[in-house]
Amino acid sequence: MTKLLNYRKIFQYLFIPGLILTVAGLVAGFTTKTWGAFYIGLVVIGGICLVIWLLFILITGQSFWQKRSTQAGTNALISTLSLFIILGLINFIAIRYFPRIDLTDNQLYTLSAETQSIVENLQQPIKVLIFDKETNPQDKDLLENYKRYNNKFEFEIVDPDVKVGLTKEFNVKSLGDVYLKYGNKKQLVQTLIAFNNREALSEIKLTNAIEKIKKDYIPTIYLLQGHGEYSLEKENAEQGSLSEAVSSLENKGYNVKPLNLVESFGIPTDADAIIIASPKRKLFDQEVQALKTYSEEGGNLLLLLDPNTDPGLEPLFKDWGIKLDNRIIIDGSGAGDVVGLGPTTPFITTYGNHPITKEFANGISFYPLSRPIDTVEVKGVEATSLIVTSDKMWAENDLESGEVTFDPKTDISGPFDLGVALTRKINPTEKNNDANGNKVEEKKENTNSSPSPSPSSNNEKPKKTESRLIIIGNSIFATNNLFGQQLNGDVFLNSVQWLGSQDEQPLSIRPKEAKNRRINLSSLQVNLLALLALVIFPLSALVAAVVTWWRRR
Amino acid sequence: MILTNLIAIFRKEFQSYFTSPFAYIIAAVFWLLSGFFFGAILDQLLQTLSFLEQSGQLPQSVDVPSQFLEEFFGVLTSLLLVLLPALSMGLYSEERKRGTLELLATSPVTNWVVAVGKLLGVVAFFLVLMIPIWIYEIIVFSNASPPVNLQVILLAHASLILIATAILSLGMFISSLTDSGILAYILTFVLVLFLWIMDAIANNTKEPFSTILSHLSLFDRYTDLVKGVLDISSLVLLASYIFLGIFLTAQSIEAFRFQRS
Repeated sequence: MTKLLNYRKIFQYLFIPGLILTVAGLVAGFTTKTWGAFYIGLVVIGGICLVIWLLFILITGQSFWQKRSTQAGTNALISTLSLFIILGLINFIAIRYFPRIDLTDNQLYTLSAETQSIVENLQQPIKVLIFDKETNPQDKDLLENYKRYNNKFEFEIVDPDVKVGLTKEFNVKSLGDVYLKYGNKKQLVQTLIAFNNREALSEIKLTNAIEKIKKDYIPTIYLLQGHGEYSLEKENAEQGSLSEAVSSLENKGYNVKPLNLVESFGIPTDADAIIIASPKRKLFDQEVQALKTYSEEGGNLLLLLDPNTDPGLEPLFKDWGIKLDNRIIIDGSGAGDVVGLGPTTPFITTYGNHPITKEFANGISFYPLSRPIDTVEVKGVEATSLIVTSDKMWAENDLESGEVTFDPKTDISGPFDLGVALTRKINPTEKNNDANGNKVEEKKENTNSSPSPSPSSNNEKPKKTESRLIIIGNSIFATNNLFGQQLNGDVFLNSVQWLGSQDEQPLSIRPKEAKNRRINLSSLQVNLLALLALVIFPLSALVAAVVTWWRRR
Repeated sequence: MILTNLIAIFRKEFQSYFTSPFAYIIAAVFWLLSGFFFGAILDQLLQTLSFLEQSGQLPQSVDVPSQFLEEFFGVLTSLLLVLLPALSMGLYSEERKRGTLELLATSPVTNWVVAVGKLLGVVAFFLVLMIPIWIYEIIVFSNASPPVNLQVILLAHASLILIATAILSLGMFISSLTDSGILAYILTFVLVLFLWIMDAIANNTKEPFSTILSHLSLFDRYTDLVKGVLDISSLVLLASYIFLGIFLTAQSIEAFRFQRS
């Protein structure tokens, strides 16, 4: 004890280095936000100094504080301050290094193993932006759970009315949109508010979106131009424009370019899908041949063909078993009249069983002036109806006759298809050739990437096993005026997404569900509960209060 | 020696509640309110469930006991927000008013022991107040099928006791500052309310303050624990609050001693 008192001077002022070290460490850590070993070391050493000093004060405290009250006052102040710092440190360490244990039955509040590994392996910062006025605490908990696995994961709740610039930058369409930002890539994850219904942020969607944006692969979509197709540009009144559809695609993380086959000598190798939106004039035979080869080698096509146009794509159609019909679909149900559109605008509420339409239920999409699509069975081609007309619709052969009525001789009656999705497996023999071709490509990529690792050189294409084709007997539904209405935009976007997402297997994350549990109380128990809770316990306490009060008097 | 002192102080404090009509009135009100909410929440939950079941809108699986626990404990905390300051307000301010604080401050028993003993006494009384609720819970949860996850329920209760202890500890410090019980009540209530809404404040501040503030928020941690997520850092935080209350109380009595001498 006497020996200890000899060092008293040293111990007594130990709080000075302690305070300086911790404050320095904390400030440096918080300003740089990197929390390296050095900063944490500073904080820990400072904390140890403070703990020793506080212990010393507490041990020798009696003699300390008995001296003079003023000294006791300052000592009390300093020890209180240092206690705050020590508690702060302990909590800081606890937050950073202590685990969370999920005791719930199905690990309800823990991220799935897939998510954990994806988040842990993030190399670059990734940010989730929720454009919303308020947040669901569950969503915030989920995001905080993500953040726990990697500090590179960040999230922000953005009020679109306050941060207008950011909202514009992300081209936010509606309140509740959730976007991912990774480097300079942006991607829509989920829309939390749909039809005034708020849904929870889904781990499945978020993790899949992270995985997708991380892949560094930007799918490229081409729009065929040069035969009177719709333009990509906004200002093109006479031709009609798809600019809204294009900007929506770009928002979803696609690279959209025009394609002029005459100028570009064949189809670019980076084309993930080609959209042919209602050419008014016939394509050149060479162009048709190029498209045919592209399709045979695993290319993806979206054909939007209005009636009374003949693009001259018959060789392609033959491969796929498609038959165009030049009749015009008439909607006899009168649904179009409600919104001021005539009987030539079929209102579709039935959709095929396909990934593209699986979330549509009985939503409406409409197609002014459209033609039916007929398919013939071809070996190796699998056709699925996408858009199906109702039995009140028919395809009219003769519009000029004045009166539009169903004529069983020349017209076909519904239901028939307005849009069809087709897939075809690529020949295995061609695959072998492909393998050689791929090798060459890989070599090329290596030489490209070694001198300058630019992001474009990482733009590696997924391997192809099948080619896909979607044909819809209408193109007007995707133009600027109609794109934003009802499900029209979704039909278009989902189609392109399906075409461009070949071999992209979504991660199989199973949704978390609480264990199914019930409480079965008998009526006797219910009555007992009510009696105990509302009568016996409160009354007995009240009686006891009166008795004690009486006794005290 | 310290232990016997501690026990003596604890007993004195604990027994004093049973001779005070005020404590019984608090108990009566708390039991009535908590009992009412217990029944009402359970009833409502079971009714919505049977309605959903009949109309076929039931989500695939529902964990009724844990849903009930979460909702009831949410209401319980708001009751505690009112109740606990009432328990802690008299801890030291009574002594000040009666002039017995000098005796305590100058007695050979250290301030720490007095503070810890008093805190244990009031926590013990709080546990007595909780007994009826535990009885109801045993009745309800023993009828769950399949049987409840005991870990989750025990964690929820442990964290409830911890958070109550933290509030009582801070309340004890505040009561040591003043000789007016009402003032101590109001100040404690305001402080706890502040700790409660800290999370909301945190949402409106910038990093890193928002992280720090949201971690300090008592009830944010608590909701996690009640759900069944054992976050050790939350327990550390609650323990810090308890320790802080005891430490500050001891310091405040120390200061009181020198003011008078």
